[in-house]
Amino acid sequence: MLDVKKVREDFPILKRVINGVPLVYLDNAATSQKPRQVINALVDFYENHNANIHRGVHTLAVEATEMVDRAREKIARFVGAKNEEIIFVRNATEGINLVAYAWARRNLQMGDEILVSLMEHHSNLVPWQEIGTEKNANLKVVEVTSEGILDLEDLKRELTEKTKLVAITAVSNVLGTIVPLKEVVKLIKDKAPAALILIDACQAVPHMKVEVSRMGVDFVVFSGHKMLGPTGIGVLWGRKEILSKMQPYLYGGDMISQVKIEKTTFADLPNRFEAGTPDIAGIIGLGVAVDYLNQIGMEQIREHEKELIKYALEKFEQLEKEKLVTLYGPRDPEQRAGVLTFNVNGVHAHDAAQILDKYGIAVRSGQHCGAPIVESLGVAAVVRASFYLYNTLEEIDFLAEKIKEVPKVFKI
Amino acid sequence: MDYKEEIIDHYKYPRNQGELDDPKITIAEDNSSCGDRVEIYIRLGQNRKIEIVKWQGTGCAISTAAASMLSEKVIGMDKKDLEEFGMDGVIGLLGGEINAGRMKCASLAYRALLRVFS
Repeated sequence: MLDVKKVREDFPILKRVINGVPLVYLDNAATSQKPRQVINALVDFYENHNANIHRGVHTLAVEATEMVDRAREKIARFVGAKNEEIIFVRNATEGINLVAYAWARRNLQMGDEILVSLMEHHSNLVPWQEIGTEKNANLKVVEVTSEGILDLEDLKRELTEKTKLVAITAVSNVLGTIVPLKEVVKLIKDKAPAALILIDACQAVPHMKVEVSRMGVDFVVFSGHKMLGPTGIGVLWGRKEILSKMQPYLYGGDMISQVKIEKTTFADLPNRFEAGTPDIAGIIGLGVAVDYLNQIGMEQIREHEKELIKYALEKFEQLEKEKLVTLYGPRDPEQRAGVLTFNVNGVHAHDAAQILDKYGIAVRSGQHCGAPIVESLGVAAVVRASFYLYNTLEEIDFLAEKIKEVPKVFKI
Repeated sequence: MDYKEEIIDHYKYPRNQGELDDPKITIAEDNSSCGDRVEIYIRLGQNRKIEIVKWQGTGCAISTAAASMLSEKVIGMDKKDLEEFGMDGVIGLLGGEINAGRMKCASLAYRALLRVFS
């Protein structure tokens, strides 16, 4: 069992008081809070080791370079990858754009098909719309059932020999749906063997064990700030055979092998995709975040979150029976990450979130960068409470209790 | 931020909601991050002053109340009056206390109105 009390002591912000009451932070799908270990790592880097990497022989440059290399090794091991397959980017969005520009733009042809699901984050939809338009490739969308589950029958129908890329989320940031990737990958390999597969794992890597090299996919992206790391650092993982054939996407320093005025040759992986000085402190901070997650154990974290979502669903199903709320997404905790999505009946999501803030409860409201899936629910906006390793059953009780205050404000 | 009585009143009983039979100007404005939308129908009178405003849309209490309040307030205003009224005027109508996170809600109808003259 996870010692949540002990975990909470590592997160200074959880002592924050909001509007006179203790913070109840339930916006982890947007960004996670940071443990003291990660914050200290950033301070330690800037106070004791700050230098640019890969280009100095002095002590600090060597230290900084080694710290970045070590962080890359740790992150690679954490997701079951080879070091050189870990490309540091700013965030998952940049990772997807890297694939869009460096692979899709150079490899897609007129009439090719790109397949996404209805529940993609805008970051895994908009780049494909743009590339699709530019290359005259067709963007197709796999439906989601009314329970918020990926429609595998529709996936079968949409896959064809023309499918060249399937870009799909591992866990929906709006509904918390855990996509059955094993089945999905098998279907893709059967029906569209030529297609590459990109997985948006932003809501998976922070919350459950992910082993990229065993997934049978080609690219995986995730953001550091959602997994206890700093903002500004993310990861694109790609299979070495594919990455090594891809042209760079950004050109400049640190990504070259040899530069002559007539011609430049590019560095090997991963540096060929990491032009310019990277977020050195961010990389080191993410390495420490991975240490922290490893120390707790990803299986433990998933079990804890499963307990939280199971409890939250039971609580809110009761409120649904009382006609107080409407719930969205799968009801089975096995198929659901720690994301509770709902509306307070008769109240706009923003107003509900604003009223909950009065009680120190931080939830997200709106479309969550997933307008198509939210609109498919027949509403303009939804409230999302998303959990992480430091959340407690008591916090869910508090949320459920304060939900009852929301309609009172509007005298419903 | 508390919800002032006036906001709740305009939210529950919005003024000038509906369409205009023969609108001279129709403007739609969206808040892409929250799915809110307002459509405004306007007829301008003498000296291009706003004569009639009707509106409809989906939105939260803040965006709905702002549209409702503005539909009364801007009658008789011309372009210059509306520009001078500004977001400060809108925030004033809403009771003077709107946090940064709700500014898009508060400004939705006002942004649409400004486009009437552009």
